[in-house]
Amino acid sequence: MTSLATEQTISETPFARSGTHGELTAFLMETTDRVGADTYMLVALLHDQERTDARIIASNWIYDAIQLAGHQLIANLAQSPFAAEPGGRPRAVITASAPALPGVSGEDARLLNVLGHSEIFALKLNVGRQRMFLLFSAEAVGRIDLAALLQAQFECCYGLSRMPDMLGAAAAQDPLSDRERECLFWVSEGKTTDEVAVILGVSSNTINSYITQAIRKLSASNRAMAVATAIRSGII
Amino acid sequence: MEAARLDQSDTATAYAASAHEPPPAVSIPDAVRRCRWIAVDLNADGFGLFFISPSADRARLVPCFDSNYPHVAPATKLLSGHGGDELSRLARASTAPCWWSSNDTCRSAAAFGALNWGARISMPMPQGAGIAFPVYADRSQCGLMAFFGAEIALPQQQLAEIHARCFAVFSAVARMRAEDSGRLPSISKRELECLKLTANGLTSGEIASRLNLSVHTANQYLTNTTQKLNAVNRMHAVAKGLRLGLIE
Repeated sequence: MTSLATEQTISETPFARSGTHGELTAFLMETTDRVGADTYMLVALLHDQERTDARIIASNWIYDAIQLAGHQLIANLAQSPFAAEPGGRPRAVITASAPALPGVSGEDARLLNVLGHSEIFALKLNVGRQRMFLLFSAEAVGRIDLAALLQAQFECCYGLSRMPDMLGAAAAQDPLSDRERECLFWVSEGKTTDEVAVILGVSSNTINSYITQAIRKLSASNRAMAVATAIRSGII
Repeated sequence: MEAARLDQSDTATAYAASAHEPPPAVSIPDAVRRCRWIAVDLNADGFGLFFISPSADRARLVPCFDSNYPHVAPATKLLSGHGGDELSRLARASTAPCWWSSNDTCRSAAAFGALNWGARISMPMPQGAGIAFPVYADRSQCGLMAFFGAEIALPQQQLAEIHARCFAVFSAVARMRAEDSGRLPSISKRELECLKLTANGLTSGEIASRLNLSVHTANQYLTNTTQKLNAVNRMHAVAKGLRLGLIE
């Protein structure tokens, strides 16, 4: 039961040789084809001090399109109000008509249009507790099949759940050890170092060192930021 | 004509055939009714909705309601004990539905076995058959919608639609819970701004200079927010603010 639905297809493609990321590529290409889209882009969003940045996990956008659009615009597309939760109704971003979307200017829309993204759909994915975003676009408006999109959104949630190692983001998002995660959870519940020490039955120094490790691993600058980062990425 | 595709009704018609999207459930009895409809469509005997505790030490299924509402079904008791351990662990890591069956020849086992995406798990209860759909809502809330019965029918092409309906019920229930537990005192825009910057790792001093306030005022805003959220310190306030969706 652990085999992918696309196993047949994958073993017959040259991607099988390129290892795990090839499997992800084959899966996404097949899905893109099924919904009638031309390109896909799978992204995770990273929140840092100032803004939200897109981390591209897989994509068949041309290199120049990614460079010209920039990660900020991609992040804004992914979290636009037109994006749909699993089972929700996605709305197309029609780049020719320069829709009023937060963070997507008329100029951005024209650029995407010139780059061949006439119609863009953003789907929110739940891969276990991880939140990811999938952009599908087509060169011609109306080519993407909406009913197939709903189906594809769930299949991507299922399929990506089976490829935790391939997502990269997964490892990057939960770098904590069980003990560190446990400590951070109690900190998020308002417990002080001494209280956590009593709860877990170890010394306060040990707790502090776990928390310092957790702060460092999450690239946070203090406890509050570590708690926020961990909650945003679904670690605690 | 391109603008016409922006019209929501266009999308709505395209989706009508594949997905029901009625207005979200507004009360628990309403949500229970929607689950009954799903159970009827699946030909299931019973159902249960669970939240998965965010506790770091042991993931556990916390019952919300089931087909015996307002009472509690025996299956719910089994799953909220150790029976649900594997299910809650799986649901945190994978969105794919999980199923179990003590009898390989029943109709349910045949339907589940034919699914492209189902994962068979060890029996979470002494006997019977069932399928569980992991569900998620905003602010990384995680849950599980389980259906029980030996006669369940679930063709592959209906899987996404059924799962979509489970998501809709869960997000409505999660929202009701947040509103219930919340009854939030009004937190001012300035206070929220300070809380957000704290979550982003800024110190009171940095917040003060960013917002052109004195350090004392920034601290005062944060103390107010902490009190209003019924939190014991800033870390707790940041966690509560994020989990309640007050800040992103």
